[in-house]
Amino acid sequence: MTPQRQAIAPLRSDFTVRFHSEAQIEPLREATLALLKRTGVKYRSAKALAILKKAGAKVDEGSDLVRLPRRLVEETLALAPRSFVLGSRDGAGDLDLGSGFTYGATDGCGVEVVDWRTGERRSSTKADLADVTRMQDCLGSISFWWPTVSAGDCGRTAQLHEIEAGWNNTTKHLMGMVQGETLARHAVEMATLVAGGAEGLRRRPVMSDLIGTVSPLVNDKDGIEAGLVFAAAGVPVCYVSMPNLGTTAPATKAGAFVVGAAEIVSAAVLHELAAPGAPVWGSIMQIYADPRTALTMTTPLDDRCRFLATELLHSFGLPALGAFGGTDAELPGTWQAGVETMLQLLQAPLDGCETYTGIGLTNTYNLFTPENLVLDDDLYHRARHAFLDISMDEESLALEVIDAVGPGGHFLAQPHTRRHMRDAVVRAVTQEIDAGGQRYRDAVEVARERALDILRHYEPEPLDEGARRELRRIVGDADRELRG
Amino acid sequence: MKDQLKQAIIAGDAGVVNALTQALLATGASPREILGEALLPGMEVVGERMRSGDCFIPEVLLSARTMQGALDLLRPHMAEGESTSAGTVVIGTVEGDLHDIGKNLVAMLLQGAGFEVVNLGTGVTAAQFVAAVKEHAPAILGMSALLTTTLPHMGETMQALKDEGLRDSVKVMVGGAPVTQAWADEVGADGYGANAGMAVDRAKALVG
Repeated sequence: MTPQRQAIAPLRSDFTVRFHSEAQIEPLREATLALLKRTGVKYRSAKALAILKKAGAKVDEGSDLVRLPRRLVEETLALAPRSFVLGSRDGAGDLDLGSGFTYGATDGCGVEVVDWRTGERRSSTKADLADVTRMQDCLGSISFWWPTVSAGDCGRTAQLHEIEAGWNNTTKHLMGMVQGETLARHAVEMATLVAGGAEGLRRRPVMSDLIGTVSPLVNDKDGIEAGLVFAAAGVPVCYVSMPNLGTTAPATKAGAFVVGAAEIVSAAVLHELAAPGAPVWGSIMQIYADPRTALTMTTPLDDRCRFLATELLHSFGLPALGAFGGTDAELPGTWQAGVETMLQLLQAPLDGCETYTGIGLTNTYNLFTPENLVLDDDLYHRARHAFLDISMDEESLALEVIDAVGPGGHFLAQPHTRRHMRDAVVRAVTQEIDAGGQRYRDAVEVARERALDILRHYEPEPLDEGARRELRRIVGDADRELRG
Repeated sequence: MKDQLKQAIIAGDAGVVNALTQALLATGASPREILGEALLPGMEVVGERMRSGDCFIPEVLLSARTMQGALDLLRPHMAEGESTSAGTVVIGTVEGDLHDIGKNLVAMLLQGAGFEVVNLGTGVTAAQFVAAVKEHAPAILGMSALLTTTLPHMGETMQALKDEGLRDSVKVMVGGAPVTQAWADEVGADGYGANAGMAVDRAKALVG
C-alpha cells in the first residue's frame, strides 16, 4: 500500500514551564548589550557598514568593527515582528509562529549519505536531497523543510539546486541555506515564482533562509549581504550562531551564550535597519570542542540549559529556533544515537521556541541514513506525547466500568475496553510484531523498511509543470552566471 | 640545561625557554643541537601527551608558540643553507569561508612539529593557492573549509593545480568539519586528518 502523507504534528506541552525568571535572564541580556557597545561586532560588508553608520552606530571602516549603542539596539529591535507566518507551497501547511506550537525541521546540512539503493556510503547529491525531501513531505514530525543533505554535486550554485529539489518534492515551507548576494537574488526570484508574485511572497513567504554568523562576533559578507536581499523581499531570515566553547567562544556556557546572543542581535539590528518590520528570528546553538582534539561534540555529559537560548532571544523580542536532536554517534540504531537524540528532543516541547531543528542525521550532523530519519521520527513523537496531559473526564475515569468489573475481575470483555483499546496506546517503532505474532521485531530493521517504503512508493503533490520549468530556468541562469 | 629546556617547552614557559635557548647558544651549543636535543624532543612529548588525552589543545598551542619563539632566536645563528624546517606548508581556508580557527590550530601544530608554515588566511581563491605554490614551492598545500557551501572550492583548486602543471610537485591535504576521507578521495587529495593532531601525523608521513 502506498504510504499516506501524515498531518503535520507540531510540538506543544500542556504544561507551562518557566526555566529562568526575568531577573535571572537580565544579567545575560545586559552582558549582551554591554558586549555590543564595548567590544563591538565586525560586519564584512561595505553596504552593511553604510546602513549602520547612517543609523548612528560607531563604525570603524578600517577594521569593519561596529559598536552598537544600547538605544540603537533596543529601538531597532522593537521594529521586528514578534511573530509571523511561514508560508507553504499549497497554503495548507502554513506555520504561524504566534500559535504557541513549536514547528520542527530536520538537521542540516549533511554531506554524506548511505545510498538506500546500494548501501554505499558516499558524498551527498541533489538526487539524494530530492529523496530525503519526499520523506520529509510524508512524515508528520517535519513541519518545514531543511536541506538535510547538501547538493554536493552542484558546485557554486548548490544552494539554489537544493531549493529546487525542495519545491519539486514537498509542499511544506522551505528554509534554504543560501549565502551571497547573487545567489540570494536568484532564490528570491524562485520564491516569487512559487508564491505567485512579490506581494504574495511578502504576505505569505514560502521560503525563509538560515544565515550563519561567524563566531566570535563577525557577520561575514556572503551571509549579511544575502540577508539584506531577503530582508528587502520580505523573506524571513533566521540568523544562527554556533559558539564553540573553548575555541570560538569562552569555555564557559554563560560566556558562550552571550557571544551567541550578541551575534544574533547584531545581525537582526542590521536586518531591521535595512527593512523595518522585516521578519527575522534567531538561533544560538552551543557546541563544544573536545579540548583534547578540538573535535566538535554536541552532547557532553553535562549538556544543559539549551532552553536558555530561547529565553535570551525572546528577551530581545525575537522568535527562536531551538536545537534539539542530532548525535555524535556515527551510525543509527546505537545506544548513543538514541540517548543523545532523545535527551534533547524531550526538552523541545517545553522550550517555548517557535521552531526547532533537527532530527535525521548522525555523525555530528553529517551523515544521512533513511532508517535514522524514521527512528528519529519515532523519538520525536515520544517527546511530543511526553508532556501532553491525560484526559480526566467521566469516560476516562471509568468509575462505572471499574465498579462493574469489581475487585479481582478483568476488563477484557468490557465495551469500555473495546471503545478505547485502539487508542489506549500509540505504538512505537519498537512495537511491531513479527510474522509469528509472538515477538517484537528489531526496531532498526522496521525503521529501514518503513523508510524504503516511503522512498519506493511515496509521491508528493507535484509542482505544476510550468513552475517546475521556470525553477529549472532560474537555476540554469544562475549556473551560467556563476560557473562562467 | 637541554633537559631543562625540553621541560620548559613541555610546560609552555616562554620566559624560561627563551632564557635557556640564549644561554645554550652562549655556551657554544649549535642551533641544530638545541633543536634536535631539546626543542623537538619536548614537542614530541607534547604530541604524545595530546594523543593520550593528557595534554589539552590550549596547552599544546602554548608549547607550539614557545617553540616558535625559540626558533626565532636560533635562526640568526644558523649557517647559510642550514634549516630548522621539516618542510614548507602553504595553508589557507578556501574562498567564501571565513572560518580559520581549525586551520590556524593545524598551522600552529605544524610549526610545533618543525614545519615552516605560510598561512594565507581565509577566503583564499584557487588562483591565490596556485600563486602561493609557485612562490613558496611547498612540500604540502593544506586547504580548510567549515561550510558545506564552500567545500566545492577545494575541487576547483585541485583542478587549477593540474591546469598549471603543479599537481605532482606538491602533496595536498584537506580538512575541516564537513570534510571526510571520502571527500578527500573524491577531490584527489593526498591527505586528510579528522583532527589537528592527526593532520600533523599525516603531514609528517607525507614528507617522511
